[in-house]
Amino acid sequence: MIKIPKSVIKKIERKSQKSLKKDYKKAFKKTFDDTKKEMIKEFLSHPVTIEILSGPGGSNISGTLAGKSNLFAFIGFNISEQPIDSILQILENISYSDNGESSKGRKFNVSFPTSQDIFNVTPMPWASGRSWAKGIESGISGLGYLLNKSTSSSRSGVAIQADKKVRTARFKRVPYISSLLKKYKKKFKNIK
Amino acid sequence: MIEQYHHKLTNSFLLWFDNYLLEKGEAYTNKTGVSLENYKDDRSDSSYEVYGSPFKQWVIDSSINGATIPNGITVGNTPTAQYNPATQSRDGYAIDFDNGRVLVEGSDSNLNVTCDFAVKDFNIYFTNETEEDLIVENKYEINSRIFSEPESYIQPYDQVIPAVFINTATSQNKGFAFGGMEETTVTITASVLSEDSYQLDGVLSIFNDSRNECFSLIPMSDHPFNEFNDLKSGVYNYKDLSEQHGKCNGMYINDVNTSKLTDRARKSLSNDIFVGFIDFELKQHRFRHQ
Repeated sequence: MIKIPKSVIKKIERKSQKSLKKDYKKAFKKTFDDTKKEMIKEFLSHPVTIEILSGPGGSNISGTLAGKSNLFAFIGFNISEQPIDSILQILENISYSDNGESSKGRKFNVSFPTSQDIFNVTPMPWASGRSWAKGIESGISGLGYLLNKSTSSSRSGVAIQADKKVRTARFKRVPYISSLLKKYKKKFKNIK
Repeated sequence: MIEQYHHKLTNSFLLWFDNYLLEKGEAYTNKTGVSLENYKDDRSDSSYEVYGSPFKQWVIDSSINGATIPNGITVGNTPTAQYNPATQSRDGYAIDFDNGRVLVEGSDSNLNVTCDFAVKDFNIYFTNETEEDLIVENKYEINSRIFSEPESYIQPYDQVIPAVFINTATSQNKGFAFGGMEETTVTITASVLSEDSYQLDGVLSIFNDSRNECFSLIPMSDHPFNEFNDLKSGVYNYKDLSEQHGKCNGMYINDVNTSKLTDRARKSLSNDIFVGFIDFELKQHRFRHQ
């Protein structure tokens, strides 16, 4: 058996690493993009997101209001508001930076938002210090709906219609942003 | 039913909240020589005559520097109704701190009763009502601390504003450490209803700075009031009581968030009140059934 000199082996290793460098980047980018896409897709297909995107005419598909009225009117959004946009923008801004080689390969840093980042950009229409996205997880009072209703021209347009039904409905909390972020933080962390 | 963890927690939080607001904000007004007016109250013991003040919820906490905590009243020119440790009562009198009145044993309804006391700038109530019921229903009388009309007694029992309504919203236990230790997270919402923006901003500012504060868990048996809303032992000092139960024995404010009803939303209310919210997240690491 031919014995390969150590110096040659080292040279081969160095060269092979160099050639693999490009693949690391490519592979990471692909998995990163796929994971991000998957995350945004999951967010957009969440019943709460769909319901809010449907606007004041939607139905309570998220089950948070026992089928009565819908979240857009219950929270008290203005008919012209696009409450989902600010969350979407944060998710779309998730990016990574290449931190160069390390002893274990290549290191990438993902800038991932926290739940608080999302809560900061999702103010309640009637109390800007409170977050409606947090409220989906922890509970929302029917105050927004009632305040909306009591104004002469309802901001949500349809809030006036379902008066007693909504007043008696208790809000049912559902997992939303926090669980989504927790799930995908793990996925981004495990990209290899 | 014997006292449960949540009973203790609610009792402790209310006592802490009251002390914190009074101490940090000096949120009280001393009143001197207030004349108490006789009135009939079907719900009180028939062997007592009732003399009421124009203000509810007098300060009871002796740890609040500068606040006048009454230990008795003046009938005519005679100081009376001091707490008697031997009989553990005021011997024929009771001061109803919560309803801002005095109960006098007997049937004399023509006494000249006066009293010095401190009244809270904000009444504090524990409630199970929803925010929409509290704010939109417009059912609360405003018991202004500054009178522009002749002072008269205020009806007992009814809740009045300025006030803070405290409600335990949610509670959750999660595994925390080996050996069965759990992390208990309790969310408490305080709805603040005030007469003006200055008062509201003050309360929100005080509690916005309460993050990481801890407080003692005090059992309901140590609540300062007896059946007349008078002090059980004649004196109540939150700091002493708190020390007695181990100050900071595990419960702390992990997070607090304050917010105000927007001006636009406020204008849709039928009454001219200012509304704010304080959302507390409390945590304790504990073994269940303790």
